[in-house]
Amino acid sequence: MAEVHVIGQIMGASGFSESSLFCKWGIHTGAAWKLLSGVREGQTQVDTPQIGEMAYWSHPIDLHFATKGLQGWPRLHFQVWSQDSFGRCQLAGYGFCHVPSSPGTHQLACPTWRPLGSWQEQLARAFVGGGPQLLHGDTIYSGADRYRLHTAAGGTVHLEISLLLRHFDRYGVEC
Amino acid sequence: MVSEKSHLGNQQEPVQEEPKTYLLSMTARRGPRSLPPIPSTSRTGFAEFSMRGRMREKLQAARSKAESALLQEMPTPRPRRLRSPSKKELETEFGTEPGKKVESTQQEIDSQSHSRVKFRDSARKIKPKPQVPPGFPSAEEAYNFFTFNFDPEPEDSEKKTKASHREGTNQEEEEGEEEEPPAQGGGKETDEEELLNGDDAEDFLLGLDHMVDDFIAVRPADYESIHDRLQMEREMLFIPSRQAVPTYKKLPENVQPRFLEDEGLYTGVRPEVSRTNQNIMENRLLVQDPERRWFGDDGRILALPNPIKPFPSRPPVETQELSIKGELETMYKKAVKYVHSSQHMIRSGDPPGNFQLDIDISGLLFTHHPCFSREHVLAAKLAQLYDQYLARHQRNKAKFLTDKLQALRNAVQTGLDSEKPHQSPDTIQKTINDYKSEIRQTRKLRDAEQEKDRTLLKTIIKVWKEMKSLREFQRFTNTPLKLVLRKEKVDQKADEEAYEAEIQVEISELLEEHTEEYAQKMEEYRTSLQQWKAWRKAQKAKKKKRKQAAEEHPYDETEEPYPEEDLVKPIPPEPTDRAVIEQEVRERATQSRRRPGEPMLVPELSLAGSITPNNQCPRAEVLRREDVKKRSLYLKVLFNNKEVSRTVTRPLGADFRVHFGQIFNLQIVNWPESLALQVYETIGHSGPTLLAEVFLPIPETTVFTGRAPIEEMEFSSNQHVTLDHEGVGSGVPFSFEADGSNQLILMTSGKVSHSVAWAIGENGIPLIPPLSQQNIGFRSALKRADAISSIGTSGLTDMKKLAKWAAESKLDPNDPNNAPLMQLISVATSGESYVPDFFRLEQLQQEFNFVSDQELNRSKRFRLLLLRSQEVPEFRNYKQIPVYDREIMEKVFQDYEKRLRDRNVIETKEHIDTHRAIVAKYLQQVRESVINRFLIAKQYFLLADMIVEEEVPNISILGLSLFKLAEQKRPLRPRRKGRKKVTAQNLSDGDIKLLVNIVRAYDIPVRKPAVSKFQQPSRSSRMFSEKHAASPSTHSPNHNADYPLGQVLVRPFVEVSFQRTVCHTTTAEGPNPSWNEELELPFRAPNGDYSTASLQSVKDVVFINIFDEVLHDVLEDDRERGSGIHTRIERHWLGCVKIPFSTIYFQARIDGTFKIDIPPVLLGYSKERNMILERGFDSVRNLSEGSYITLFITIEPQLVPGESVQEKFESQEDEKLLQASEKFQAECAFKFPNRQCLTTVIDINGKTVFITRYLKPLNPPEELLSVYPNNLQATAELVARYVSLIPFLPDTVSFAGICDLWSTSDQFLDLLAGDEEEHAVLLCNYFLSLGKKAWLVMGNAIPEGPTAYVLTWEQGHYLIWNPCSGHFYGQFDTFCPLKNVGCLIGPDNIWFNIQRYDSPLRINFDVTKPKLWKSFFSRSLPYPGLSSVQPEELIYQRSDKAAAAELQDRLEKILKEKIMDWRPRHLTRWNRYCTSTLRHFLPLLEKSQGDDVEDDHRAELLKQLGDYRFSGFPLHMPYSEVKPLIDAVYSTGVHNIDVPNVEFALAVYIHPYPKNVLSVWIYVASLIRNR
Repeated sequence: MAEVHVIGQIMGASGFSESSLFCKWGIHTGAAWKLLSGVREGQTQVDTPQIGEMAYWSHPIDLHFATKGLQGWPRLHFQVWSQDSFGRCQLAGYGFCHVPSSPGTHQLACPTWRPLGSWQEQLARAFVGGGPQLLHGDTIYSGADRYRLHTAAGGTVHLEISLLLRHFDRYGVEC
Repeated sequence: MVSEKSHLGNQQEPVQEEPKTYLLSMTARRGPRSLPPIPSTSRTGFAEFSMRGRMREKLQAARSKAESALLQEMPTPRPRRLRSPSKKELETEFGTEPGKKVESTQQEIDSQSHSRVKFRDSARKIKPKPQVPPGFPSAEEAYNFFTFNFDPEPEDSEKKTKASHREGTNQEEEEGEEEEPPAQGGGKETDEEELLNGDDAEDFLLGLDHMVDDFIAVRPADYESIHDRLQMEREMLFIPSRQAVPTYKKLPENVQPRFLEDEGLYTGVRPEVSRTNQNIMENRLLVQDPERRWFGDDGRILALPNPIKPFPSRPPVETQELSIKGELETMYKKAVKYVHSSQHMIRSGDPPGNFQLDIDISGLLFTHHPCFSREHVLAAKLAQLYDQYLARHQRNKAKFLTDKLQALRNAVQTGLDSEKPHQSPDTIQKTINDYKSEIRQTRKLRDAEQEKDRTLLKTIIKVWKEMKSLREFQRFTNTPLKLVLRKEKVDQKADEEAYEAEIQVEISELLEEHTEEYAQKMEEYRTSLQQWKAWRKAQKAKKKKRKQAAEEHPYDETEEPYPEEDLVKPIPPEPTDRAVIEQEVRERATQSRRRPGEPMLVPELSLAGSITPNNQCPRAEVLRREDVKKRSLYLKVLFNNKEVSRTVTRPLGADFRVHFGQIFNLQIVNWPESLALQVYETIGHSGPTLLAEVFLPIPETTVFTGRAPIEEMEFSSNQHVTLDHEGVGSGVPFSFEADGSNQLILMTSGKVSHSVAWAIGENGIPLIPPLSQQNIGFRSALKRADAISSIGTSGLTDMKKLAKWAAESKLDPNDPNNAPLMQLISVATSGESYVPDFFRLEQLQQEFNFVSDQELNRSKRFRLLLLRSQEVPEFRNYKQIPVYDREIMEKVFQDYEKRLRDRNVIETKEHIDTHRAIVAKYLQQVRESVINRFLIAKQYFLLADMIVEEEVPNISILGLSLFKLAEQKRPLRPRRKGRKKVTAQNLSDGDIKLLVNIVRAYDIPVRKPAVSKFQQPSRSSRMFSEKHAASPSTHSPNHNADYPLGQVLVRPFVEVSFQRTVCHTTTAEGPNPSWNEELELPFRAPNGDYSTASLQSVKDVVFINIFDEVLHDVLEDDRERGSGIHTRIERHWLGCVKIPFSTIYFQARIDGTFKIDIPPVLLGYSKERNMILERGFDSVRNLSEGSYITLFITIEPQLVPGESVQEKFESQEDEKLLQASEKFQAECAFKFPNRQCLTTVIDINGKTVFITRYLKPLNPPEELLSVYPNNLQATAELVARYVSLIPFLPDTVSFAGICDLWSTSDQFLDLLAGDEEEHAVLLCNYFLSLGKKAWLVMGNAIPEGPTAYVLTWEQGHYLIWNPCSGHFYGQFDTFCPLKNVGCLIGPDNIWFNIQRYDSPLRINFDVTKPKLWKSFFSRSLPYPGLSSVQPEELIYQRSDKAAAAELQDRLEKILKEKIMDWRPRHLTRWNRYCTSTLRHFLPLLEKSQGDDVEDDHRAELLKQLGDYRFSGFPLHMPYSEVKPLIDAVYSTGVHNIDVPNVEFALAVYIHPYPKNVLSVWIYVASLIRNR
């Protein structure tokens, strides 16, 4: 019966080699969690930074969960995409981070990665854009034999998330 | 080691290559040291002993030197050195321990000692061998010889004791070292030795070359003859034979092998072992284990089933090259540009790929065709039978059953014979019994099968004979079919024996059965007999007793109860007779079985026969053949009921086969809903006829191209064909007999062989739409909630197939391989298909939960929050939700729960009328489903939806604004400025206002002076034709005759009421008042929800009522008149204009002149015609009746109406037509963007339908036609009135902001609700059926906006009909609400208005002029003859008069109650007398349609209610719900009169029209008694 409010924003992203970025995000929870209101997933606008290299989205996240257990604490996952000058979109990075577990405001930085692919694919990516993408989006946070996945580091997604917890003390969880 | 040591050697003595090679060669020569040395050489060695001693010294020195060097370098030599003392100790044991192993190391070799050692060594070796060369010393001797020889040698010790000592040690050492048998010496060791020896040998090189021969003994290779070896091996080893072991050896004596598998038991798959290995094993076991424990009943080695699973149980450890797999797979995707389209897209992000379905149509075969000759019929039958025979033959069930029977019998035999000791006799008996019952069953089955086989064979032969006779009879052959009966000879004797044996076995079995049965029966008999006996005894005793009792108490007799029924004496069963059974068995055998010795008949059907050529055939047959030649066939492939492709046309072969062999690749996007083939036949040059439709099953997702089997799909057609030649026709009786008896009727039928499969893409990915896509489409949208069910159905059908297959293929239920299958089948067939659709991921979830699910779900707060976020209407606008559960009342949910409960319960309370209640429910459901469908589409926003961008001022705008500076400040004719639009998101209560600007009104009815009771006004019986002419007013203006205060004719004011808020203007004077006032009314959205969807569905109506303000002088005393005024203001309702809010919302503003809806009877008022005053204006105005008001209505701030979604709907229309219509629309929109052009519309099922399909003559109700049988125009009016009585329900309300759905006329009449289009379509259809020329007019009207009217051509002029009101207007009527015309739609064409003007006043309606009207179907695109979507005929049920009467009473009651409610502070009296008068009067009004009864009525009322001042009027409305009626009554404001002694009268009359269309009349009146 505990409740969690996740209120915050996806500030933006930095460190990507591409410039026009947007981000698809989603929040994944375990079975014990019930979304009372808000949307689980979304997509930001494309930001083309004019000054500096950080892309700012300032995309709001506002979710209200009820939970009957701690398992499956919400985790955020991101797909950062870049849009090139032809308006084509390509993947720039996958990222994932847990929603903090202590109440208050948190500044999060979520590093991202992207699949490297074979050398042909790398070559193709360098010249004609596109790039390897995960076939299954949940690989971002699921643990398979990930050593087979060869990745390159992308930039960082910055988040500012405030957390309100309610009634956790009632069930012996101190926060 | 080796290399190092050689290295060491090099270090020690750097030698050139040459000597080294030499050395090596030398060692090679010395290699065979193991050979026994020749004694002579050793003797020669003795001579140089002293020399050797010297040499040894030298060597010793070299060796110590080398050793010291070695020690410095590496530790290996150390242990040897350390060990040397211990070796000294071992000296004594030297001889006794010859086998002791000592390190073999480099040692400077004394050739003599070496040879000595060798000698000893070899001697020892030879010792076991019997053939020692004669004269050779024995080992003992040799040993003794050497040892003895050693000590006494004087010179040695003399020369140098130290040296000798050292030599001794050396020798010992060496001896010890050489103990190791060099013969077997490992190559490595010898290598070492050799190398080092080589090093040592350097010393030899100094001068001992000549002595080499002395050191080497050449000996032959040690060899053991193969025979010896084999001999030896034979003695020691056992080699099992590879020969197969005969079974009897493996089994206990006199035991037949028993094969469990044949008995039908599952034995499992034995592991694969090669036959040879098995034989070897068996042979070995037979020798090793004579008890034969290792052999099973079947004589094979006992084995567990193959333990190897066919699949890996452990994830394969992959090598690097196969690395990435499964979910980690990445795919290179090109950079994609997202196309923004309003198309309905699947949400899954991935753009819908193209999927491919391959349909392979290989051919067609007719099993019957009209052109079949009689012979063909027989041939087809024969072929069919033969197929059946082949199928049966292949399955050979009889054989299988016979074998099974045999196996079972064997099993019983073995079970009886060899009783295994460890099994209890009980179990054996039980198994035997089981077997026996099994035998019985099997035998029965076998008999049946055999009989079937036999009859089939007989039938085949019979048909063949018939065919032969037919061929003979008609003297020609049509079919190449030829049946050959092959006789298979059988051994007569063996056969007979087998037959007899079989019969005997059967007889014995039957006998046994019978005896068993007999025994059982006997047992039963005995028990029952005993019972019976006992009973008899008891009975007798009782009787006796009774007799005694009767003697004692004669009266009790009757009371004696009979406790039991009389038992019948049981009859003993009869024993069975062997002869009888035998008789039976034999009879059956002859029937169902081949007779012994009878040859086996094997029919063989071949196509080897020859067909009689045409010239030898009779004429009828030739005709038939020619007819066949003329015929050709093709198949159409229909995907989702749309033709996607067709095969080539192929002629029909003489054998009635058509080969197509075409593969169609269907590129599809959605999951297919249906797949069908249509078989078309063309005869000669005539058009194709549809023979039959074959529905193909949509393949499962596992069926891929290349793997799909060719399947045959049968089809048949019900066409009736009679032919004038030999062909037998189809669906007509014919007979083979000459007398025409035994008639047959055959229908055209055949088989299509085809295969349907999913294609596989380039990269091996099957092109199958995902399952989630299966439920896309409108119909599926209804099933959205239970998508699983739709998938499940296909699975279920498959399940049945599966079960059938399992039954057919005789799956062994015990086989663990089949276990999951069996379970699945049992689950599916038992109907409890509970397959858990989940698996548990978080195993420990339960343990760590804070609360249970139930508790979580019980939380009221969470529920409220959830419902709010789901936008459930009741909770959508909750702003704040309490923090604690306890603060939330339970009753919050009550309404919601009630609604959920009542979703399927039709409640009649609100609707009174059940039919309308049902319709309302239905509409609700349609609405929900449509909305569901569009929810997805609505989520796609365009940039313009999200961003409002102010235009950056450019030079032209600046220039314009400069011009504006020069403009007049206050222009004489100001224009309305466009206002900023506001999106509806951030609005709240009170933000929105409705602005109503009432400009002026024309022709308001004026008060009429009270006519005296007896004056009968002349009633002008106006006919239809007169209406258009100016009707001369019969009433002369009569000023201030009756009105004491010298009032003007009328003092009208306007009251606007909206959402129960009322505003009114000031009072103006005269029949043509001008107010020019702006009224402001607040707007409240339902539930405070200002979203677009909610605003669109606002059903509220703006009532604009016109009242007359009447002043009554209530001064009671005439004397006071001079000093005071005491008047009361009364208001009399004159009429109203109703404008729905939704219209205002969509139009943004409404500006125009509207006809005031004036009640047909307005007592005390009449239309004033002041011809003198306004002559000029009148001539135009009086063209039409009625009063008008000019209004301007808008909403402040301006709201953005929801865009209707431009959707592409699926359609069944021809693709060409759709393209043409798109093109047409685009062209029209390009030329005249503001004119409405409609070619396709969406029907109620969400499919696009071409618009002309809606128009078709449809019969109006008979009832209406019979009213004015001769007057067409009157009938037309009546029909229009009927149509207008069907309630109006705008689509935009029901399908908020989505689309306009067109229902067909029958649907419309069933629903009894629709908007302009439906009304117009129905009216147009009626007019067409009345024989009028009628069109649908699509255009703009006020106040409706874009709408549909009906245009008719009367003699010489056009009439425009408003279908919703039933009014009609001439083309040149200025007050016609239709303001512009976009297009005309007829039953067979569409004409778009391409004239310069679009106002009906200024255009020409002659559609034949292509310059004025652009037609859709023209010469280039002829009208294809589209079938109508309308029904053939409308069926009207007579309305239930009783129900209408009941409804009438209830309505009256409700309205009366309401009026009383609205007057809470006053007493409401009802004047019954007046009410009854009014009630009588209302039917008259209905009959005359509200025309021209005023005067009669007035007179009558006056007559009856002479003493009352009466004000009231009848309201007329179509009936839909109660609420609009109440609103209408409320808006008249009758209840507002607060004169103390007022009385009211209210009467309701409902006139039922066919199809439950109800016309409601409400007469409300207030009466004030005159004093």
